[in-house]
Amino acid sequence: MQTLRRFRGKNNEGVLALVLLALIITMSMLSPAFLTAGTAFSTLRSATVPLIFALAVLVVIVSGGIDVSFAAVAIFSAYTAVSFAITTAPDLPAAAIIAMAIVIGAGLGLINGIVIARFRLPTLIVTLGTQGIFVGVMYTYIGATYYAQLPPSLAAMSSMTVIDFQTGTGRASLHVMAVVAIVLAIVVWWMLTRTMFGRSLYAIGGDVEAARRAGFRVMRTQVLVYVLVGVLAAIAGIAHMVMGRSANPQDLVGDELDIIAAVVLGGASIFGGRGSVIGTVLGVILIQVINNSLLLAGVPSAWLRAAVGLLLIVGVGVQAVAARKKARRVHTLDEDKSDRLVQEGAA
Amino acid sequence: MSANESPPGAPAPGDGARFNDRVGTVTRDIIGRASANRKTGRMVVALLLAFSIFAIANPRVFLSPLNLQNIGVTAPEIGIIAIAMMLAMLTGGIDLSLVAIANLSAITVVALYSGIAANDPALAESLTLPIIVAGVLVGIGCGMLNGFLVSVVGITPILATLGTMQILNGIAIVTTGGSTLYGAPEGLTAFGRTALGPVPILFVLFIAIAVLMALFLSTTSLGRKIQLEGANPVAARYSGISSRSVLMSTYTLGGALAGIAGVLFLARNPTASADYGASYVLLVIVIAVLGGTNPNGGFASVAGVVLATLTLQIVSSGFTALRLSSYEYAIAQGVILIAVMVLDYVAANRRQRRPAIEAPPDARAASPEPTPATAQRDTEHS
Repeated sequence: MQTLRRFRGKNNEGVLALVLLALIITMSMLSPAFLTAGTAFSTLRSATVPLIFALAVLVVIVSGGIDVSFAAVAIFSAYTAVSFAITTAPDLPAAAIIAMAIVIGAGLGLINGIVIARFRLPTLIVTLGTQGIFVGVMYTYIGATYYAQLPPSLAAMSSMTVIDFQTGTGRASLHVMAVVAIVLAIVVWWMLTRTMFGRSLYAIGGDVEAARRAGFRVMRTQVLVYVLVGVLAAIAGIAHMVMGRSANPQDLVGDELDIIAAVVLGGASIFGGRGSVIGTVLGVILIQVINNSLLLAGVPSAWLRAAVGLLLIVGVGVQAVAARKKARRVHTLDEDKSDRLVQEGAA
Repeated sequence: MSANESPPGAPAPGDGARFNDRVGTVTRDIIGRASANRKTGRMVVALLLAFSIFAIANPRVFLSPLNLQNIGVTAPEIGIIAIAMMLAMLTGGIDLSLVAIANLSAITVVALYSGIAANDPALAESLTLPIIVAGVLVGIGCGMLNGFLVSVVGITPILATLGTMQILNGIAIVTTGGSTLYGAPEGLTAFGRTALGPVPILFVLFIAIAVLMALFLSTTSLGRKIQLEGANPVAARYSGISSRSVLMSTYTLGGALAGIAGVLFLARNPTASADYGASYVLLVIVIAVLGGTNPNGGFASVAGVVLATLTLQIVSSGFTALRLSSYEYAIAQGVILIAVMVLDYVAANRRQRRPAIEAPPDARAASPEPTPATAQRDTEHS
């Protein structure tokens, strides 16, 4: 029982892992093409950008907020950096372009953070507003051109793979950006569990006032959270462009809710204070695998969106019902029972 | 939250505590209404300001009867969805699925009509009313689904409606095959073209629905319950209000309004598609907040929402008259939204420092000490 409970994890990560495992077993029995290194790597590849986004969303949700502007930040910073490189400095090294995108992303995140932390405004509504502003500013002042060719230094990264081998069914290769996503996941995990900053996120997400009185610098931490989201989003934006080999300003924005769904499925509480990197990774991969399996099973792609919505409602609904049952079990004290307890205490 | 209210989660309040809760809620409610009145006044100023700016900047285009009528025809669908959003926010929730519901009900009407008209155009025309009712019923059904998920299952509104938004959107994409459907009952489009004097009938309908909603909120028992539920869920529970049935009716009503908005859209423009008005989700939240709705629940004003709808429509058509792009309008929306919330915060802070001078007279009469600022401060973490 004890090991079972430990496996289940604080945020139902174990349940998620079991669901994922069951899905993979079912799929590989139905289709032999499913369980190959090639499929695994291509799932990892398609999960790369969502995973980096999900890490960013996880950090915000743990701190008790929600951010819907991350996709706008990602496309804004990556597109600005890439179009600057294409139009004015074609020989810029990849590191410089990425650094530029990260600085822009951090700046946009700083705007979010300052507005939210300084004026204590609802995070969802502020980031909805800044999302409109960021996208509008990008189209109006930076450009709306679709670049089919990346600057040479970034284009070289497009075909960079870490593992690459020939299998019976085809080529299997692990893109360098997938490795970046994995490294980022480890870094965020380390930050959330091993650093003071990470712990203060959980404290603030659990109860702002308690965290303030315990001596956490709430405002500074909140601003830093949104800067961090900006940085992660910028990296995701660059990863998206490198893997897609083009810079399209219309990409990314509009799929924010899928990412939030993945993070919430991964056990993060929308009220803050709860969530883990492992759960988030499982949530992202689960959604990718379900999407892939539905496509393999011949379900029209139009249903994918509905499937994610259904998954979200079932996942969160089960958690909500379970949480309410648990709350009832622990806290119910009917009148006479509590009276008896009081009398016993007095005696 | 007022000072004379028992702490949330007190195990079993006696009569005194319950009375206190009720007094606290009533006090808050009065303050809320006063602050909503102030915000409505501010919206009147904003409306006049926006109108005069664009009227001066480009009078030839902006003041043309066509443009003014266009504002009157496009405002209703957005305004009604914004009122539905206001309802959800009034209970402390949010409804992200409203635009998807409106699209789905428009798609239902178009699909039913063209399906019947393919065989028998006369029959389809004679069934106009039942078809429209079917469209609104789809909206009500979707709203009930939201209500069920929020109240019975207990999913946080933002996640529940996020999920249903995706599902309804998926259903809409599948039924339309991703393309735009054409065709609406002749009677409906003819109705959309009629006008009472210079005022389009759709606009008259919008005002009628807004007045009905305002009366509903302020005079009926369910309307009061919705307000109390948002102002203080704990006090509402101790006052014997079933939060489950209140939430259920709120989201169902929201779905019905979204369904009506979908039909009104068809009356103006006989097409329906799954991705129509994707940007409206942000727009209706902007309108609701601008109209004085507290996103944390409790305070809202239908008049404020109507004025905010008109203001944003004026800004939108003014931007078009000045040949600014829709992206510049998106920037304006975002800036207005954040600026209004920042100004509210600053104003609440200032009032808190000088409560005796700034508190509205009726609020002071009801209770000397709490100010809206205290309410504002309690709601900081969301």
